[in-house]
Amino acid sequence: MDGGSIPAPPEPVTYLCGDCGADNTLKPGDVIQCRECGYRILYKKRTRRIVQFEAR
Amino acid sequence: MAGEDAKKKGTRDLRREEVGSASLMELTRPHVDSFDYFVERGLEMAARGLHPVEVTHPFALWIEKPIISPPMKEHSSQALDQRLLPSECRMAGLSYRGAFTADVCLQWNNRTVVHHNVSFGKMPIMVKSSVCHLRGLDERQLLAVKEEALEMGGYFICNGNERVIRLLIMPKRNHVIGVKRNTFKNRGSAYTDKAVMIRCARLDQSAITIRVYYLQHGSATLGFSHRRQEFLIPIGIVIKALVETNEWEIYERLTAVQKEIKKGSKGAVGTQFVSQRARIILEEVRRHALFTRHECLEFIGERFRPVMDVSNKLPSAAVGEKVLADFVLCHLDNPSDKLNLLIFMLQKLFALVDGTAAPDNADALQHQEVLLPGHLLTIVVKDRMQDWLTKVKGQLNNEMKEKPAQFDLQDFNQVQKMFERVPPSDISKKVEYLLNTGNLVSQSGLDLMQAGGFTLVAEKLNFLRYISHFRSVHRGAFFATLRTTTVRKLLPESWGFLCPVHTPDGTPCGLLNHLTAVCQISTDLDARGVVKDPLWTRKAITTVLVQLGMIPAIPALARVAPPTHLTVLLDGRVVGYMETSAIPAAVAHIRHLKVAKVPEVPADLEVAYVPCTSAGMYPGLFLSTTPSRLLRPVKQLQDEGAVELIGPLEQAYMEIRCPDGGAGGRDNAGSRATHEETHATAMLSVVASLTPWSDHNQSPRNMYQCQMGKQTMGFPAQALAHRSDNKMYRIQTPQKPVAQTVAWNKFHMDQFPTGTNAIVAVLAYTGYDMEDAMIMNKSSMERGLCHGQVYKSETIDLTHLRQKGDGIVNVFGRPAASSRFKETAEKDAKFIDSDGLPHIGQALVEGSPYCSVLNTMTGQSKVSKLKGSEAAVVDYVAAISTGAKDPLQKVIIRTRHGRNPQIGDKFSSRHGQKGVLSQLWPDIDMPFSAVTGMRPDIIINPHAFPSRMTIGMLLESMAAKAGTMSGQFVDATPFKKCTPQQDESKDGSKKQKGTHGSAVDEFGKQLAKYGFNHHGTEVMYSGLLGTELTCEIYMGVVYYQRLRHMVSDKYQVRSMGAVNPVTRQPVKGRKVGGGIRFGEMERDSLLAHGAAFLLHDRLHACSDYHTADVCSLCGSLLSPLPQAQSKGGLGFGMMGLPSAGGRNKKAFCRVCNTSRGIERVAMPYVFRYLAAELAAMNIKLTLSVTEDQ
Repeated sequence: MDGGSIPAPPEPVTYLCGDCGADNTLKPGDVIQCRECGYRILYKKRTRRIVQFEAR
Repeated sequence: MAGEDAKKKGTRDLRREEVGSASLMELTRPHVDSFDYFVERGLEMAARGLHPVEVTHPFALWIEKPIISPPMKEHSSQALDQRLLPSECRMAGLSYRGAFTADVCLQWNNRTVVHHNVSFGKMPIMVKSSVCHLRGLDERQLLAVKEEALEMGGYFICNGNERVIRLLIMPKRNHVIGVKRNTFKNRGSAYTDKAVMIRCARLDQSAITIRVYYLQHGSATLGFSHRRQEFLIPIGIVIKALVETNEWEIYERLTAVQKEIKKGSKGAVGTQFVSQRARIILEEVRRHALFTRHECLEFIGERFRPVMDVSNKLPSAAVGEKVLADFVLCHLDNPSDKLNLLIFMLQKLFALVDGTAAPDNADALQHQEVLLPGHLLTIVVKDRMQDWLTKVKGQLNNEMKEKPAQFDLQDFNQVQKMFERVPPSDISKKVEYLLNTGNLVSQSGLDLMQAGGFTLVAEKLNFLRYISHFRSVHRGAFFATLRTTTVRKLLPESWGFLCPVHTPDGTPCGLLNHLTAVCQISTDLDARGVVKDPLWTRKAITTVLVQLGMIPAIPALARVAPPTHLTVLLDGRVVGYMETSAIPAAVAHIRHLKVAKVPEVPADLEVAYVPCTSAGMYPGLFLSTTPSRLLRPVKQLQDEGAVELIGPLEQAYMEIRCPDGGAGGRDNAGSRATHEETHATAMLSVVASLTPWSDHNQSPRNMYQCQMGKQTMGFPAQALAHRSDNKMYRIQTPQKPVAQTVAWNKFHMDQFPTGTNAIVAVLAYTGYDMEDAMIMNKSSMERGLCHGQVYKSETIDLTHLRQKGDGIVNVFGRPAASSRFKETAEKDAKFIDSDGLPHIGQALVEGSPYCSVLNTMTGQSKVSKLKGSEAAVVDYVAAISTGAKDPLQKVIIRTRHGRNPQIGDKFSSRHGQKGVLSQLWPDIDMPFSAVTGMRPDIIINPHAFPSRMTIGMLLESMAAKAGTMSGQFVDATPFKKCTPQQDESKDGSKKQKGTHGSAVDEFGKQLAKYGFNHHGTEVMYSGLLGTELTCEIYMGVVYYQRLRHMVSDKYQVRSMGAVNPVTRQPVKGRKVGGGIRFGEMERDSLLAHGAAFLLHDRLHACSDYHTADVCSLCGSLLSPLPQAQSKGGLGFGMMGLPSAGGRNKKAFCRVCNTSRGIERVAMPYVFRYLAAELAAMNIKLTLSVTEDQ
């Protein structure tokens, strides 16, 4: 997977390290490992879009 | 220090406050301690206890220094912290394992021993054990590694799941019991139903059960199992083979019991038959022409050589000695000790036969102990290591036979290659398999009664359920299959050790028990945590006993027996004899030493003095220092209330009084008591002790509460954010109960609350509270009463899709906008981020896509969509690394499903009073109190009380009402009247408790003080009519639990949907949208009502209604075929089914070759299927079709 087949490379998504909490920006094909501490579980950061709930 | 500053200012710094988890750690201690034993000592002992394998005679192979190391990450990981922590295992679905290595030693011809360090794979490690990284961390450090602040450990993590090894009841080790079982007669023609048995356990916990059977002609045989096969040896031969002795001595020792019969006094165990039996036993040996010890050993050796796995050169006598050492009373190493014990067993057997001693109840806790996780692992690993050695030996032997020229045993590399052929890591793999499945694979059976069900998942539904897994004790899988209920009975012997309340009803009732909260399990450590040296302890105790007047067993000078002298056994070893009259004083002295913390007498020593009785249990003084016995604390009266640990065997012969000051149902007990219970609630388990005023409830209600408490939605874990359990329940607004027992705080239940204080009115209102239904105030619900969520985690692992040689084909990603699936891709883009995963916090409804997997070869994408009609919110997405160079291949997506109370959800109070929410009633229509104007949160029906007699709930309602007014928590500990008043004086300022009088009076007074009715009732007005209700209504505060059974998980409805392709009937199962069976009994009921149309509708029209063509000429259902449009064309359906277009076309009969007689008939489709099945077995079904009358 080099991403060459996809015309517009998708925007990178930010993940948080499960250990040290550092921001990690991953592009498709990136290795899942924190750049700061080497931890191998990353959590996706909460979306910045407006999330609207139906108030009922 | 921030904490000190805060204290000076008089404010509390909550972040700095430690909860103190000591009382919780105590609950899982049996698990953790036993695993520590396994790692630190058991493995070593097991390795020492292995039989060294000899390949050729001068070449030996054995294992030394087994070591288990703390879990570490894979070498390829470049993480800064190389420790593998439990939280990572849980999240990434790994197993918490540490390297297991040992030295394999080779010795050739008595030359230097060659040590070779071999890796035996990765051994699962118990959390919080001595090789766990969490050991010794304080609460803040635990939080830092993403654990609970009150992490108790005691479980394993297998593929991300938390699994516990169950405690199992085992026969007490090194303890002789006499039993009467009809199955013994099946051993042979002369066998009777009586035998004595002893489960002999070595120091490495491996055990062999020895049975001595009584034969009809007066003799006895000794039996033991080896490789699941029972071997029987005449007892005389064993006795003679043990030590060099003469027949006169054996006779004298066996008949020592007989001398006393003349007195005929209480406790005489011998009869005149004993001497005859002794003679028969000795004659039996003679008949085998065995006269000397050597001959006896040879006799045994010759017979056991094939099963003993010894070299052919070993003389038979040596083999015989090995048999005696390995199998016969293996807990003793000295043959004369073995002889003494055998004599004791025979005397007990004869007493049992003659009726001078009663058979022991093997189901009573007296004769039982528990199998601890660490001990199970020790024996399993020992078994595996022995197996591995044997296999390596086989390999070496083969190699030497096949390539005698090339293979050189002394060449280390060649030997090492042989090791690799039998993978050493199998040992760890077998243990992991045991933990994952609960199944044990072993050729020998390990003297265990079962092969499966050893482990279970520690569900974190709520804290009560979680903790119960660690405190539960199972009787054994074998007993679940028994039809008799005797094993399930609650016996008085269990008092104080097993909770009488906390057992499930139904199938496992009485088999799955729970330890009481105070119950401990003995270990091989002494009170200071130092390992007890068995030999030293034995010598020390023997010295103490001799000082107290015991005649030592060695040298064997005395020929004494009950009733004048009793045998003293220490851990199944006859250490001497003691004069009966001197024993009570000696026992009292030993008990004194026990609590005085004298090093000679361990604090967990069991001193069971079984006195002489007329035909009771065989008398003796039985002392035990062994591990895995049950223990509980009681107060000693003589030593100013020093706390002594007692066991179940001694308890039966002790006088323990209850602190209530009563006589315990006896006429003159008070003075005789030597001990006192620490607290009346000491007999309850953790869960049972949380029920408020359980002493006011009918007992089954307390049992129900124990079950329902474990099904409650609560606050399951504080580390919720770091967990990925498949399903987790959580309530949003948990509270502390106003009425709480002492145990609530002791076990830190505030950290894991399970319910809400609700204003409950007991009133028949609107009829919606009939039959255990309850009405909830709609506004209360909307304000947050019992709001809850369900967390569901889904793991998507693309490595499973990987095919060999393909490389990484599937990745997470959104299909490209320009691709063929543009439209759907754009629609999905709202939900799916550019990485193919959902946005965190995104609300999903049924069918919303939340994850997309791209196949880079085909360009196709597979989109996962939310199943079920329930809306959800994406809680987190965790990306898990699957390898050092892999891109994203594994994610965990956790969704949060709102589960606020709705009609049909189940609730319960803490008194076994469950009910279903039947209406969310508008607040304005709820009845209201005349004084306060308050509307209840919950209305329950008064009919819930008379038959169930849960007075505790009425009390709670009143007391918590008073408590909320005064702003104080109410002590609802049961058996308060039985508790000494000193408890009260400690915080007497808090409670103005009436010294006498009932709880009702006490709380009634308080209520009156706050202006309420003394009896807890209130004048109320109807919310609908505004009129005063004719009677006063009982209203108060009750702690309500929300149970996990919710309608949204259960409702099942269909009108159309999936059908079974064969029968065309609706399928079953909620998951697949199936229906609920309208069964025979339902049919009968409609039939009886004469509701024929409804019946027809249900069973035919809504099921497999079918119209078929029948040939009235030949009566066949199968021969009519639709008219062929073109002969031999594909328009035919299979098996005469009409093809797609041919439904209305006239059919013709293939047999009659005409369409004259074809009639269309309605029938169930299965009938047609039946006809086809019958045709397949050459039976023709003929229908006679006639016109309707």
